[in-house]
Amino acid sequence: MSRKRHRLVPETFGLKRRRERGPVEEHPLRGESGSARAAVAELVQLFPRGLFEDALPPIALRSQVYSLVPDRTVADRQLVRGVRATKTDGRRFPASRALPRSPIAQTLSRQKELQEQGEIRIIQLGFDLDAHGIIFTEDYRTRVLKACDGRSYAAAVQKFLASVLPACGDLSFQQDQMTQTFGFRDPEITQLVNAGVLTVRDAGSWWLAVPGAGRFIKYFVKGRQAVLGMVRKAKYRELLLSELLGRRAPAAVRLGLAYHVHDLIGAQLVDCVSTTSGTLLRLPET
Amino acid sequence: MLGLLSARQAGLDDPLRFRRAESTRRVLGLELNKDRDVERIHGSGVNTLDIEPVEGRYMLSGGSDGVIVLYDLENSSRQPYYTCKAVCSVSRNHPDVHKYSVETVQWYPHDTGMFTSSSFDKTLKVWDTNTLQTADVFNFEETVYSHHMSPVATKHCLVAVGTRGPKVQLCDLKSGSCSHILQVVFAGHRQEILAVSWSPRYEYILATASADSRVKLWDVRKASGCLITLDQHNGKKSQAAESANTAHNGKVNGLCFTSDGLHLLTVGTDDRMRLWNSSNGENTLVNYGKVYNDSRKGLKFTVSCGCSSEFVFVPYGSTIAVYTIHSGEQLTMLKGHYKSVDCCVFQSNFQELYSGSRDCNILAWVPSLCEPVPDEEETTNKSQLNPAFEDAWSSSDEEG
Repeated sequence: MSRKRHRLVPETFGLKRRRERGPVEEHPLRGESGSARAAVAELVQLFPRGLFEDALPPIALRSQVYSLVPDRTVADRQLVRGVRATKTDGRRFPASRALPRSPIAQTLSRQKELQEQGEIRIIQLGFDLDAHGIIFTEDYRTRVLKACDGRSYAAAVQKFLASVLPACGDLSFQQDQMTQTFGFRDPEITQLVNAGVLTVRDAGSWWLAVPGAGRFIKYFVKGRQAVLGMVRKAKYRELLLSELLGRRAPAAVRLGLAYHVHDLIGAQLVDCVSTTSGTLLRLPET
Repeated sequence: MLGLLSARQAGLDDPLRFRRAESTRRVLGLELNKDRDVERIHGSGVNTLDIEPVEGRYMLSGGSDGVIVLYDLENSSRQPYYTCKAVCSVSRNHPDVHKYSVETVQWYPHDTGMFTSSSFDKTLKVWDTNTLQTADVFNFEETVYSHHMSPVATKHCLVAVGTRGPKVQLCDLKSGSCSHILQVVFAGHRQEILAVSWSPRYEYILATASADSRVKLWDVRKASGCLITLDQHNGKKSQAAESANTAHNGKVNGLCFTSDGLHLLTVGTDDRMRLWNSSNGENTLVNYGKVYNDSRKGLKFTVSCGCSSEFVFVPYGSTIAVYTIHSGEQLTMLKGHYKSVDCCVFQSNFQELYSGSRDCNILAWVPSLCEPVPDEEETTNKSQLNPAFEDAWSSSDEEG
């Protein structure tokens, strides 16, 4: 049984919480304790842009955010509320930085900001009901505009990006929403589907999508299975994290081992056990 | 703790605060204890456990072979080492024993003179504890998965029964005799009902969970239909169309109200546990992570009672996972069983957890206390010499 429970004893007993951070590993799993935005920013660094010739915006996954932000409920709230409101940039108010802010207050405000600011978008990736991709809105906008440059559907796409994206922060759109609220006609919606910005979900509703994301999803699914297979084939079905990252990536893993490891840990497809030699990844017995 | 004691003594703190703080501390220290045992009677998996709400002293267990055992949990011996003995049992050679597996047992909420048990042999039996005879039997057309009687009801004696059919049936104990079943039949679910639970706050509110992924809240006085169907997306159609208006993306296995009745916890075969606001059916979106669940019938989990932040104890494979309810944090996994755990109950007077599993064992998880400091006065040795060998010389040094 884990003795670490005792650090959670509430403050009435006057026990100090033991700090979670141990020596910094070369792959800082819990490097960001609290801010989902910082986690997303760090994860998009791991995304291999060159693989897709920079045509895809860097996509992070929700499960990867869970591996960096230990409290899932807090991470969810931050991500969800970060989509909607208008963007408030910390840089515009440099004076506020001088004020000492407690980390918790900062992250709470940041979280709601993230999706409510419209700073990120959450995309349904399609291969799993729970798998959501997280993209910075700016990146998404630039890539989509670049992709539809000079094509026949450029006008419809620009109208979509200008009117629908800032207004509606959901993952999907309904027929009546598109026609009445935003004034799209059916041919325009067909053009949007052709452009890859919308994906048909069922009659009269569409998912928000990233043009060209099919390749990413294919590499991702194959890579996830490959990395899981590496852990499965190890003796006793467990591997030290440092050893896994030090191994040569098999050919199926195109997105990078670190990217997949974050996803596996956050999706709880492997158990993370901390040992004296570092973090150990073990396949769950169930 | 001394600070809390003196604060209570001086009147600075509410006594309840000290009690809740100490209860929380004890629950955080739950572990297997070599001094506490539950006598092993069952020859096959233990499906259900229930501790009587009046004193918290007697525990019922129901097994896959139809055997029902009654244990006395109180430690009346002066020794720290104690085995909870079985007081009596309905064994295989009892004339009224269930033919197949007992799925749910429950004490009558107001006293220990009666208990109810339901089983895969399509019956619900009402037993008299003192004579261990069945007082009443209700027969159904389908196998019974779960039943529950309201713990706070004073105006009715209804037992809600969930069967393999899509309708929830209510049996009235007051008017029941062998052939007369009062059936108030609710339509609304489409597949088998895996779990039912009355609200501990309102005596007419009932929650039912079904294999069609829906959880419905009913007021039994209202004949027309359910009050609320729980929706995991809170009405937002932006999520997948297949999961519209469902509580989980798979079968909903288990239901538990929190002890104040304000929230409802549900577990499903999509490996998720969700916390709902029971007054408006809103998903509070607390994320517990993966709560592994492959049980094909109901999963019986329990919540703590009387702690400052309540905990939920969920069977997770062959371990029991402990989460804080409102923050979603996983505190620990209690390992001890050899096979999958089916049920657990919490004894709130002593903050003990009892769990039953398919390996026929019932384990008691007891708050780990510090070792008592050995008392120095008791270590003086008495002389072991036979009086015949004792010398009669005085030990005084004086001459003469």
